[in-house]
Amino acid sequence: MDGRAAHIFNIQRFSVSDGPGTRTTVFFKGCNLRCKWCHNPESFVARPQIEINPDKCIGCGACLAVCPAGAHLVGEGSHSIDRTKCTGCGACADQCFAEALVLVGKTLSVEDIMAEILEDRLLYENSGGGVTFSGGECMLQPEALTELLKACKAEGLHTAVDTAGNVPTEYFEAVAPWTDLFLYDVKAGTPERHKALTGSDNRLITKNLSWLKENGAGILIRIPFIPGENDDTEELRAMAAILHQNGIHEAELLLYHRLGEGKYKALDMDYALNGKASPKKADAEEAVSIFREYGVRVKVM
Amino acid sequence: MRELDTSRTILSPLFKERIQAMHQTKLEVNQVKLAKFGGSYNTDDHGFIPLETSYVPSGEVLFGARRLGFAMKEFFACLPPYIHPQSALAGCWIGYFQSFENVGTDPNWEIPEHIREAWAKYHMHPGYMGMNHMGPDMKIGLDLGWGGLLRKIRYWREFNHPENTDFYDGEEAVVEGTIAMVTHYAEYARKMADESTDPILKRNYLEIADMNEWLIDNPPRTFREACQFLAHFQNIDRSYHGGGALSQIDELLRPYYEADVKSGRLTDEEAVWILASLFYNDTHYSQVGGVSPDGKTDMASRLSYLVLDAMHEIHIPINIAVRVWEGMDDRLLRRAVEYILEDGSGADFSCDKGIVEGYHANGYPKELGRMRAKVGCNWVALPGIEYPLQDVTRFHLVWCFIHAFRDVTASGEKNMDALWAAFCRHVEYQAQILKEGYDLHTERVSIDKPELVLNLFCHGPIERGLNCAEGGVDIRNYNADGIGLATVADSFAAMEQRIFDEGRITWDELAEALEQNWEGKENIRLMFKNIARFGSPRSKAEGWATRIRDVYVAAIKSSPTPKHKVMLIPGLFSHGEIYSYAKELPATPNGRKYEDPISHSSEPDPGFARGIHTFSPSLKSNAVAKVQPGYGNSAPLHLDIDTGLVNKEGGVDAIMALIHSHNQMGGTLINMNCIKKEDILEAHEDPSTHPDLVVRVTGYSAFFASLSKDYRQQVVDRFLSGDGE
Repeated sequence: MDGRAAHIFNIQRFSVSDGPGTRTTVFFKGCNLRCKWCHNPESFVARPQIEINPDKCIGCGACLAVCPAGAHLVGEGSHSIDRTKCTGCGACADQCFAEALVLVGKTLSVEDIMAEILEDRLLYENSGGGVTFSGGECMLQPEALTELLKACKAEGLHTAVDTAGNVPTEYFEAVAPWTDLFLYDVKAGTPERHKALTGSDNRLITKNLSWLKENGAGILIRIPFIPGENDDTEELRAMAAILHQNGIHEAELLLYHRLGEGKYKALDMDYALNGKASPKKADAEEAVSIFREYGVRVKVM
Repeated sequence: MRELDTSRTILSPLFKERIQAMHQTKLEVNQVKLAKFGGSYNTDDHGFIPLETSYVPSGEVLFGARRLGFAMKEFFACLPPYIHPQSALAGCWIGYFQSFENVGTDPNWEIPEHIREAWAKYHMHPGYMGMNHMGPDMKIGLDLGWGGLLRKIRYWREFNHPENTDFYDGEEAVVEGTIAMVTHYAEYARKMADESTDPILKRNYLEIADMNEWLIDNPPRTFREACQFLAHFQNIDRSYHGGGALSQIDELLRPYYEADVKSGRLTDEEAVWILASLFYNDTHYSQVGGVSPDGKTDMASRLSYLVLDAMHEIHIPINIAVRVWEGMDDRLLRRAVEYILEDGSGADFSCDKGIVEGYHANGYPKELGRMRAKVGCNWVALPGIEYPLQDVTRFHLVWCFIHAFRDVTASGEKNMDALWAAFCRHVEYQAQILKEGYDLHTERVSIDKPELVLNLFCHGPIERGLNCAEGGVDIRNYNADGIGLATVADSFAAMEQRIFDEGRITWDELAEALEQNWEGKENIRLMFKNIARFGSPRSKAEGWATRIRDVYVAAIKSSPTPKHKVMLIPGLFSHGEIYSYAKELPATPNGRKYEDPISHSSEPDPGFARGIHTFSPSLKSNAVAKVQPGYGNSAPLHLDIDTGLVNKEGGVDAIMALIHSHNQMGGTLINMNCIKKEDILEAHEDPSTHPDLVVRVTGYSAFFASLSKDYRQQVVDRFLSGDGE
């Protein structure tokens, strides 16, 4: 793939939670973290994947006939996919008009994505909004992302990049000139906990945050609040310290929600937090006061 | 920013309780109506209370100004006096006059056979003998009062001395009947005051008695009297063929409000209570805000805000539109949106740009376009000077498609060009028939069913002795409302893609599947249903939708009616009747089954957003804006938004931005509900769990619990499609 196309899995319009105003959020496919709470498991790998919703299967058998890998297992009232065989080629989804099989992910050109984005130009102008690139990890496709950001700026649109920051600093150097705001995740404070929760420590992430701050980038810190995972005092203090050290005084605390559970099932994936209850705003009061000690005003979302 | 008190009115306990009492009674009356109408009714809630009347029906078929007028005089005089003890105003209406009388047409009128056949063939609503759907200028009535109107009629009858005085006699009788009604209100209020021991109630009854006694012969002097006069009007207007247009209510009442406040006679909370009482009386349509005819002055006043406060406080079905325009004071829009988020429904939004520029495209000045107020469920009208006959036709695009498909299937030349050509022929023929039918209407409606109530509030009919439809008012045009746009667009697109682009199936196989109503062909049905449907940006279906819009608009606009040369203005509006318009309608290539509902107005079908396009209100807003007919009549946008999506910081701003964007794109009207998914699903399952849930069905609002299951399903479908399902 050249830099004029991106692997994406969703374009969400009328987004009011991904930066200022009303925005269109473009979700890139592919991520190098595996956050236990991630509600977008379809974003993990860059290649397209088949989602299966057996409830919609009408038993026509068209998928069996076209699957080159023989990955479909259809029995009496059941339908599943052998994930070790499925290559995500999409031949079955193309025949599945019942939409029991859906190919998640698409490679779209910069021009096509821009056409989608520009549909809501008036909405951005009327709300002080713009475009947010998210994921997955959109920074893992730096060339396409840079092209898109440039194209947005050429149209006079406000741009935001939603990133976990776990990429080489050079990538930030490439996209920063075209980015008005980085929505930057801080998921844990200590390297050990970060690795346990996401599969990677946070040394590079912290370094990149410092780079952005030093280079005058617009930054909005977003902290997922996951009860039992990153809400103990030690972690909260470690996260607050990172922000304090970088001279950051504001952040958003995003309360854990369960909206991703069904997607794991459709992708035949295990969800580590299955059944975990969503916290209430009041549950985050202690966290808010800890951040306040470090001079960071946290807004609970 | 100009100085204007935009604060919310804080009600004292007395006025809070009074308004709450009317809210509660409205719920109770709704239960009575549900019982009376077999469990549901799919109209605007309206304000009627099914009370008994002493009126004795004539037992005849009634038509003609004189006979109708004299029967209505008796009917109005027999309206049982009603005063809600906590209301500021007297009166209610009890049901349509034509529910008591057989209001018909001259049996000697004939409809030419080819017209009757075509009406049936296309299942169209031809608008023939359609009534009301025009806007009164209520200032005429407020300036004259009932006595003044009576004298005006007599003066012009004398002055014009027509050979046949039926028109004037009928008008005179209507006003005499109304005066009798007002007299009874005054007497009843006096009686109730005498019987009341509660000093607050007693005083209220006395005030109502004094007010109505004055209004028997005199024009209103105060804000409350003006509202009482409007309530009288609502009673008689709604009774006669369901008239429902009031006016630009904030501007209409502003002089009374300002004078009363200045003299210390009126407080804001009293004004809110009086307005709530007017809304309790009936759900006539009004507009607030907007720009002056010269395009320079924002018309929003303190009273505009009080109207919204009153809606919020009483929280029953009410039909108020906020006019949205470039350069408006956004505080009014913000307040309206805030109330929708708090209450679930509220004002709708009349979009100035599409209305003004569209009306201008017909050859009218933009200044008139700005005056065209939103005074009907989906429609606008020039108050008192226009006979637009809105909302009485349905131009059935889907039946055009069905006949075209059958023609081409039988012909042997089965390709998209042939299908399109056949479709265009049917659209043009249906338009021709519509125009011929309108010519019949032009010749007959003024003789058989003159607008005996609305004529009183127009500039010209009384002075000229002419019904508004026959030159009584200066401007006459007729509306056409197309229906089923997305159903047809998706059908064309699905055939083009599946049969011709992909070659997955043949024309004959599709024809067979349709013939069998997709029985045993579910996979084929889903193949045709699950394409990129209208609403998906830059899709084939979007292209077809604009082509269909264009051919429909061209057919309507290409010529006036053949005989009387009346210009038509196209809209796209299906009311809420997407199930009834699908009656006998065969399966269509968009995956629709026999008698499944057609698409709504100019909107994409629910669930259109698929794949990479997850649903968003803007996706739907853009789609509706792209297919506006472009001549100022409406093609409304309905949005049912999950409160959870927007009831957070920035949510109000997001909705305001959406409304402004739709206006800027040339949209004409936005109806909006903001409700919680759980609430609406629960209410759908068991309406009694949410008796006071008010929703906007289309341009009008209603108690959700009062709707039939089909109508409730329609609202739920729209809502779920907004939830990405």
